[in-house]
Amino acid sequence: MTNSIDATAGMDTLSGSSGSSKMFDQPVLSIRGINKTFTGQERDVVALSAVSLDVNKGEFISLVGPSGCGKTTLLRIIDGLDLADSGTIDLEGKRLSGISQDMAYVFQDINLLPWRSVRGNVEIGLEARGVEKSERQRISREFLEMVGLKDVMEVPPYTLSGGMQQRVGVARALAVKPKVLLMDEPFGQLDNFTREALQAEVATLWSQLGITIVFVTHDVDEAIFLSDRIVVMHRNPGQIVETLEVHLSRPRTQADFRAEPETIELRSKITEMLRSQEGGL
Amino acid sequence: MTTLSSSPKMPSLGTIGSHLSDGSPESRDSEASSVRAKQKGLSWSRLRPRAVRYFAILVVLGAWQATGSFIAPVFLSTPTRAIAAFYALMADGTIERAVAASLFILAAGIVCAGFSGIAVGTIMGRTQMLERALDPLVSFGNATPSIALLPLMVIWFGQGKLASVVFIFIIGFWQMVVNTLAGMRVVRIGFRDVGVSFGMTKWEQTFRIYLPATQPFIFAGARIALAQCIVGMILSEQEFGQSGLGDIVNTYGMYFETNKLIAAIGATCMLALALFGSLRVLQRRKFSWIQATSANRRGAR
Repeated sequence: MTNSIDATAGMDTLSGSSGSSKMFDQPVLSIRGINKTFTGQERDVVALSAVSLDVNKGEFISLVGPSGCGKTTLLRIIDGLDLADSGTIDLEGKRLSGISQDMAYVFQDINLLPWRSVRGNVEIGLEARGVEKSERQRISREFLEMVGLKDVMEVPPYTLSGGMQQRVGVARALAVKPKVLLMDEPFGQLDNFTREALQAEVATLWSQLGITIVFVTHDVDEAIFLSDRIVVMHRNPGQIVETLEVHLSRPRTQADFRAEPETIELRSKITEMLRSQEGGL
Repeated sequence: MTTLSSSPKMPSLGTIGSHLSDGSPESRDSEASSVRAKQKGLSWSRLRPRAVRYFAILVVLGAWQATGSFIAPVFLSTPTRAIAAFYALMADGTIERAVAASLFILAAGIVCAGFSGIAVGTIMGRTQMLERALDPLVSFGNATPSIALLPLMVIWFGQGKLASVVFIFIIGFWQMVVNTLAGMRVVRIGFRDVGVSFGMTKWEQTFRIYLPATQPFIFAGARIALAQCIVGMILSEQEFGQSGLGDIVNTYGMYFETNKLIAAIGATCMLALALFGSLRVLQRRKFSWIQATSANRRGAR
């Protein structure tokens, strides 16, 4: 099931990671045999069953699947927010236990702290890493500027729109300069226009910063627009069904990518895979 | 009143006619007047609550003044006499001294109760073993009617300020523990995740996530504690205080000085209102997120 051969498309922005040589590169993230069962009062739910996945350096990879397929659980386990029953995760060859300082999480619920200003929220990960105040201020300014919010640095986050709030969420995660950015349906609660704008921004940030992103979504088009590879998941038990590569050239634009033959083919393929699960409830 | 914006595409003459009549001078006029009426209504509805409030106070004072004039002054004073007594007591410094004395024991007791109650509640909320161990004790302490403890305070600390302060402290302490603990238990999972995911130590999570997230509960607890502690303050001063509002209330009662008694009760009431007001102002100024996010929880993310 696991596809450890990586995407070759869209990697041209990153040096040393193109072509077949990547096959010999060590993946930045190596996930092996993850099992997770939630024990409930009435029945146990197998959230993840023997999930293995390699994520390559600089790759944009999406986890797609119906709700309840364990994609968010997998992302939380990668980050260390949840513990797997068994299985291992290696980051650049190092076995992870608990939280890694080299990863950052963007939450579906955004989870900005209302008692802190926008700037204070962006600085929270830096505080935990012991970064000095003046340096924190410089970094928070830099990343808020990057997401276009330098004018609202001192306001409380609840005064911002949903899209702006999630921009803060992205800035907060990027500020700790993670090697791997984990994004859990970050735009799921936003309206269409805002979502598309933020997708494009994330694609730009990804190519500028050269980071690795693991992105969870149930929106097929979103996954195609952003990803080098799409991991399709299945529920009951949560498993990886298939891993598809996206070869669309970058930069992709919201206006054009939907009509591309590859998009259409991928979309129908993924949709069919997801639909075939409906009966298997 | 509909607008005419749909007029370009009209299917029939009949419709045109009806639209034209809609835009006729009369209908415009009636529209304008309805707007005016609405504005008038708005301003009245803005004024009314205040007017009603003052009117109610005046009615009560008036009724009191009227009844008081027919009843022997020893049973019921009148507003005018009470206010006169109040000014007299202010002039000779009685009320100021009493308020200062009361405020001292109240502040000492409640500040200690606040800090230690929040600290104990926080430690319990963040340490499962301590929560299990202390939970029965907290239930027990919180359930005990504080008044029952007053004689014990006298035995331990004698009849003086110290006994009052400890008494007030105990009253406020349980309330702050209970509320802080309740707040700790319901800190949003999402906020906890932020602390964990960004690699905070347990200590950092406590101070940067859990305690701030518990602020609404702490303020609610402080309001309740303040009310109870004011009762405790008056009570202990009545029992054995040599000064303070409770003491003068007791004294004037004993000597049937009803006018002064009412004035002293009024002073107590004003002190309580001022303290509640300060707490409200503190919350609004320094912890404005509490109000902002409770009024609009969806935007609170």
